[in-house]
Amino acid sequence: MKRILIIDDVRDRAAWLKASLELAEFDVVGILAWEQVDERSIQAASADVIIVDANAPGRDTLEQISLMSTTLEKPVVVLGAQKDQQSIQEAMRAGVSAYVSHTVQGEDLSGIIHVAAARFLEHKRLRDELKEAKSQLVERKLVDRAKGILMEDHGYSEPEAYKRMRNMAMSKGKRLAEIAEAIIFAKELSA
Amino acid sequence: MDKPKQEIIIASANAPEQNSRRDFMKKTGAILGAAGIMSMVPMGTRSAAWAAGSDAPELKEVNVGFIPLTDCASVVLASVMKFDEKYGIKINVSKEASWAAVRDKMVNGELHAAHVLYGLVYGVHLGIGGQKKDMSVLMTLNNNGQAITLSNQLKEKGATTGASLKKLVDSEKREYTFAQTFPTGTHAMWLYYWLASYDINPLSDVKTITVPPPQMVANMRIGNMDGFCVGEPWNNRAIYDKIGFTAATTQDIWKDHPEKVLGCTAEFAQKYPNTARALIMAVLEASKYIDDMANRRKVAEIIADKSYVNCPVDVIDQRLAGKYEDGLGKKWNDPNYMKFCNDGAVNFPYLSDGMWFLTQHKRWGLLKEDPDYLAVAKKINQIGLYKEAASQVKVAVPKDVMRTSKLIDGTVWDGKDPKKYAASFKVRA
Repeated sequence: MKRILIIDDVRDRAAWLKASLELAEFDVVGILAWEQVDERSIQAASADVIIVDANAPGRDTLEQISLMSTTLEKPVVVLGAQKDQQSIQEAMRAGVSAYVSHTVQGEDLSGIIHVAAARFLEHKRLRDELKEAKSQLVERKLVDRAKGILMEDHGYSEPEAYKRMRNMAMSKGKRLAEIAEAIIFAKELSA
Repeated sequence: MDKPKQEIIIASANAPEQNSRRDFMKKTGAILGAAGIMSMVPMGTRSAAWAAGSDAPELKEVNVGFIPLTDCASVVLASVMKFDEKYGIKINVSKEASWAAVRDKMVNGELHAAHVLYGLVYGVHLGIGGQKKDMSVLMTLNNNGQAITLSNQLKEKGATTGASLKKLVDSEKREYTFAQTFPTGTHAMWLYYWLASYDINPLSDVKTITVPPPQMVANMRIGNMDGFCVGEPWNNRAIYDKIGFTAATTQDIWKDHPEKVLGCTAEFAQKYPNTARALIMAVLEASKYIDDMANRRKVAEIIADKSYVNCPVDVIDQRLAGKYEDGLGKKWNDPNYMKFCNDGAVNFPYLSDGMWFLTQHKRWGLLKEDPDYLAVAKKINQIGLYKEAASQVKVAVPKDVMRTSKLIDGTVWDGKDPKKYAASFKVRA
């Protein structure tokens, strides 16, 4: 069950939203007014999805909180910006935030929240994969450079240089890239 | 300007496809206007059509967002004073409540363009803190005219300058809170740069939060923050309301720094180049008008309205006219007041300006790795469109796409080695 935090200064609107979300079997973990929004209150709510009003000036406050802390990065569903279904879908294709009309009923909302949460996770996964791919590339470059040093300084063949590095990594319990880095540092020291 | 006949555009622009185009024309030519045809012509050919003098905007109405700040003036005046009509468009200005809303509405197409923080456009293009979307900067809207305000409580503790603030932060330990307006935006970068130049690390020595510009003063009044960096009129408002004082203007940090830009998605600039050009021309006309100091009182009166900045005229007018007081008793005429045109020196989208924000995003850990600084800036800043528009309205275009500036800490930024520059700061994330 998705845990939802509502941030809205309009109390009765928030209460109505809470009621319709609960009808759709969501767990509404809290309603915050914008002046209560800070790192601590967002952390404490530990929600899966945050719902806010599109026209709330405080949205920028939330941007800073989620950008400065990766653990507080949450999908944000933004209510009240769009009127028709098509533009809602376009908006959702465009970004992490989902734009939903205030007049959307509870049932529609549940679908939208699921989509928003899923899209957000997908986006995060892609970003993590990219980060991973980049660090792998860096590691490969280090290993190649270290291999070159061993080949040049000790006359090893390429497979031999690689084997020696790998054996060292295994016996020391280090990652291959760390061994490679050590070789490069040693070379720089003697250069 | 005369519009050439539709068939001339089609024939010259699409030679290989002439036959199919002609068949198509026979069927639909009668019902389509020039704008309809133009939107079907591929990019490259469209600029050829522009060179031939066909500048009919593809869109008649352009929705442009803004945030209530003094520097929204050129966008607002382009509409209010009807500079837009002169270039065949109608600008619908739309007051927005947050930069996040400006960003989202540009990305989803609800806004075609916006008065927006320089760094925000670059942040969205690189996907910092959200979905990545290719963005464009059409022109710079203003230089200068933001400031750093400190609270009266700090004044009582003797912290009235960067140096004395540093002493206080070091000697009296507590959580000091400083606000800016958007994590990737200009005010965040001015605030961080200023604090760091006094050896205060904005990310570890103090706490930084984001607060919407019109709410800065109210938040300081209730003791939520020790200082903030924001655009005018809100720093002057803090003095007017006797809750804070100006410790530094942003022109002290970087004389003639770039600030807001006219931003849009790359898609908009590519799909509607004539509209984008018309928009730039209308806003340039407004910029020239505002830079005539004789007009500034009138400008203040227009933007003070509830529909725009919603602030007393006098609070806006003083600093807009270059008349500064710092709230500590000092008064001066600032030669580096907020400028909107300065014969084009303000508006040219210098690549070095765009890259500077990337170097600071890298410095403060918003970018984990060095981007291809120059390639990104070239992609975002629409120098081609801007030059065409500027030459039409007789605004001077500088020769070099880079400019050299010396900042408050004495470092020189010339755009030549962004990676080295980004790595050169001692105080960093």
